[in-house]
Amino acid sequence: MIDSILLVDDEDLFHLVFEDACSLLDMTLSLQALDSSDEADKLFKKWFVEGPIDERPECVFVDLNIIGSSFDGIELIRKINTDYGNGVVIGIISSSDDNQEIDKAKGVGAQFWIIKSDEIEPRLEDFVKDYEGYKNKENPFKVYK
Amino acid sequence: MITSKDTVEEALRKAKAKKVYLEGNFVKILSKTLPADVKEYVEECKARDKNARRKRLDVTKQVQAQNKELEEAATINKALVIELQNEKDEAEKLRDEAVEDLDLMQKRTQFELIGLIVKVALIVIVMVGITTTILYTTALMMEKDTTLLGNAWSNLFGILLTNSFSIIGTIMGVKYATKDD
Repeated sequence: MIDSILLVDDEDLFHLVFEDACSLLDMTLSLQALDSSDEADKLFKKWFVEGPIDERPECVFVDLNIIGSSFDGIELIRKINTDYGNGVVIGIISSSDDNQEIDKAKGVGAQFWIIKSDEIEPRLEDFVKDYEGYKNKENPFKVYK
Repeated sequence: MITSKDTVEEALRKAKAKKVYLEGNFVKILSKTLPADVKEYVEECKARDKNARRKRLDVTKQVQAQNKELEEAATINKALVIELQNEKDEAEKLRDEAVEDLDLMQKRTQFELIGLIVKVALIVIVMVGITTTILYTTALMMEKDTTLLGNAWSNLFGILLTNSFSIIGTIMGVKYATKDD
């Protein structure tokens, strides 16, 4: 089970879908959902300045296009990995499967790419199986289609 | 895991007695070493919670799908409205052009008619002038009495000149009245 998860996605309905899917799969006991990358950026900045605290999530799922935010998911991943000390399992969860975007995400240190669809549970189930590998930085980048 | 018997077991027994079922992740952190009856109750809570989650997930997915459909429909509607607006603008432009063409055609017809009237009038004036002049010249050459003819000739020329100016005045007036703006 993942200790804590942070989801950054502008679609509120997907927050509910993700929360229920995580609960059904027993993925985590602690899930926080944000709808803007700016909010997530502020939190990570705070955690970076104040040092590693309990609130910092263990795993972060970021949407690719976050409407209403100053920057997209790939930029958020870059900031977390380069500006805020890394230390989390992080990747993209998006309906897009654009290879260029996938390569960009890989380039900034995303560890996985999960494609959103009606049936998200099987992909999350596969992700959970691979999770320890991501945590130990042993698993290579993977796209869950 | 919560294991304190004084708190959890008692709370769960009360909840069980009142048919209150616990929900959410709290159920997952309850100890598995609880007494059998409480454990059974917790398992029931878990099953109910899972069932409720599954139902909510299905409903949320349906709503999500419907939202997507609505968004797509809204996008199509927006595009159609823009297209209709463009077509309306185009139709209005064509109508204006047609009205303008019709107006121009009417004016052209009027001008052509005026031109014809002027030509006929000028021909009549010139012909009458020529005829009178020939009569007057013939009378002079034949040394006939030209008093009456001379007066008639000068009167006729005066009248024709006046009529010519009247025609020109009428033409100018029509042109002014049919002018744009």
